[in-house]
Amino acid sequence: MKQLSAIIPGAVNTYCPGCEHGLLLKLIAMALEELGITEKAVMVGSVGCSTLAFKFLNIDYVQAPHGRAPAVMTGIKEVEPDSIVFAVQGDGDALSIGLQELFYAANRGIPVSIFMYNNMVFGMTGGQMAPTTPEGMVTMTTPYGRDTAKSGPPIYSCEMLSGLSKPSYIRRVIIAPKPIQLKDRVMYSSREANQSYKAIISAFKTQMKGGFSYVEFLGTCNVNWKMSILDSKKYAHNVSAKVYQPALFRDKFGVDFIES
Amino acid sequence: MGWLQVKRLLMGAEAIAEAAINSGLEAYFGYPITPSSEIMENLAVLYASHRSDRFRVYFQSASEVESINLLMGAGAAGHITMTATSGPGLSLMAEGISYAYTSEIPLVIINVNRGGPGLGNVAPEQSDYLFVTKSLGHGGSKPIVLAPSSIKEAMGQVRMAFELSFKYRIPVIILTDAIIIHMLESVDLDQLTPVSVDANWSARGRNGGARHLINSIYLEPAEFSKIKAGLEEKWKTIEPLGECFMCNDAETLFVAYGISARIAMEAASNMRENNIMAGVFRPITLNPFPGKMLVDAAKNSRRIIVVEMNEGQMVLDVQYWLRRDVELIPFNGGIYPSTEEVIERCK
Repeated sequence: MKQLSAIIPGAVNTYCPGCEHGLLLKLIAMALEELGITEKAVMVGSVGCSTLAFKFLNIDYVQAPHGRAPAVMTGIKEVEPDSIVFAVQGDGDALSIGLQELFYAANRGIPVSIFMYNNMVFGMTGGQMAPTTPEGMVTMTTPYGRDTAKSGPPIYSCEMLSGLSKPSYIRRVIIAPKPIQLKDRVMYSSREANQSYKAIISAFKTQMKGGFSYVEFLGTCNVNWKMSILDSKKYAHNVSAKVYQPALFRDKFGVDFIES
Repeated sequence: MGWLQVKRLLMGAEAIAEAAINSGLEAYFGYPITPSSEIMENLAVLYASHRSDRFRVYFQSASEVESINLLMGAGAAGHITMTATSGPGLSLMAEGISYAYTSEIPLVIINVNRGGPGLGNVAPEQSDYLFVTKSLGHGGSKPIVLAPSSIKEAMGQVRMAFELSFKYRIPVIILTDAIIIHMLESVDLDQLTPVSVDANWSARGRNGGARHLINSIYLEPAEFSKIKAGLEEKWKTIEPLGECFMCNDAETLFVAYGISARIAMEAASNMRENNIMAGVFRPITLNPFPGKMLVDAAKNSRRIIVVEMNEGQMVLDVQYWLRRDVELIPFNGGIYPSTEEVIERCK
């Protein structure tokens, strides 16, 4: 297989088995290659499992504090408008501590791309409740399940950002491969990776046309969900995708090409 | 441009904005806070009137948390960037400054010290001294700190801050106060030229070369220890600056910075008219502190008196360097000393 220029030669995926973070980074590297923008790309690192991206991607990289990636991205894009600026943010990073930074980058329509990996927990810190944790889900800080009467309902980021006029591309996809139960074994669908890739391409195209793009990827965290890899994929499709329905929310430039 | 050489009477905030433009400012992000807002307001006008081709980015942020991260982005991309704030805003920026310090991102912050802690008031104090000089952000991050005592010096320090921030790839703070920002002085606008910077380390995309990593995470303790040792080595090469005012034969030596130093200088001059041999040592860089210069300046002095607008902060550095009894004349709450009061409290 051809070595992607945006991936460090020989780099190993340091994510837990079953996690889609590594898949997401690889899809990003492929999209940069396809669009011919690897040399212009600057990734802004967020805080969480997404931080580890710099060990994998061979592109310029700036590490932001927890939640602040959209502000750092804005700073870079404003002074270097020809660069391609993107971040992978987790749901905790983007929607809890970093909600203001995300909201303002979106509201200004800064031409950057944010790829939000939503696994509904704080992964790196060991599986605590995140803003996206669904009602009833057990986490390290909600041992009896999330009580939305106290913590409020989960935050729907695509819907929230759709309330703003400036964002140009907003989409939610599921990146967790769907298990296909055969008679004697389980296989996984490639459809999710395929659609995720298309969403990344559309997000970058939107940025190249001068618009703000945001894609939410429904992923898993089987380690912190305390599930087998298979069960976590089932959970993503049976629970996550019901709470957070994959959809195209905004496409100002008509770049989306995911078949419905 | 001969007509520009005429001296103009400018308010501190206006002069700082002009100095920033003339010194090559490229990006300004800020959040309004009294008593710093006039700097931003002046830059807004200069930006809208296209005063400089280099000054191409200006906008108002959503908070000081956002400001510092906007600066980090512009700085990491290798551009001259600045903000102005005051204590409560600087508290919020401390997080980003810590990241910028380890990531070696150049950026400049003008901190107009107001009364604190808490909401305090908007009158002048020097109470952010320990905060900015000892660990501005978690983990012991140490920006360079400059302290002007006049508007002319503040203008020069804006240019110096741009230069130092890139030379050492470090955050630089100009610690000033509501007096300097709001008073009027006659200044020469032609004295400053744009700073040219080396940005071949910056994150703008590989563009055919090797990638640049602007990072502050080092999970291996041995590696991080080495990185920190490198930052310390760099820090040791930064030159401390100070000024002696009639120090040589001073029996009474005031130690003061910023506006307090100006008041102390006037007090020392008046005291000499009454045959009290007084002088002033004024740190210009508060970090690194010009300790060796101070030791030298204090050699022949009988009394060492620190004048500062807080409960006693720089006095700790003065005691550390001189290892002897040091007197303190503090003013706080936004009350600033008159020459007469300083002289009176020396008796």
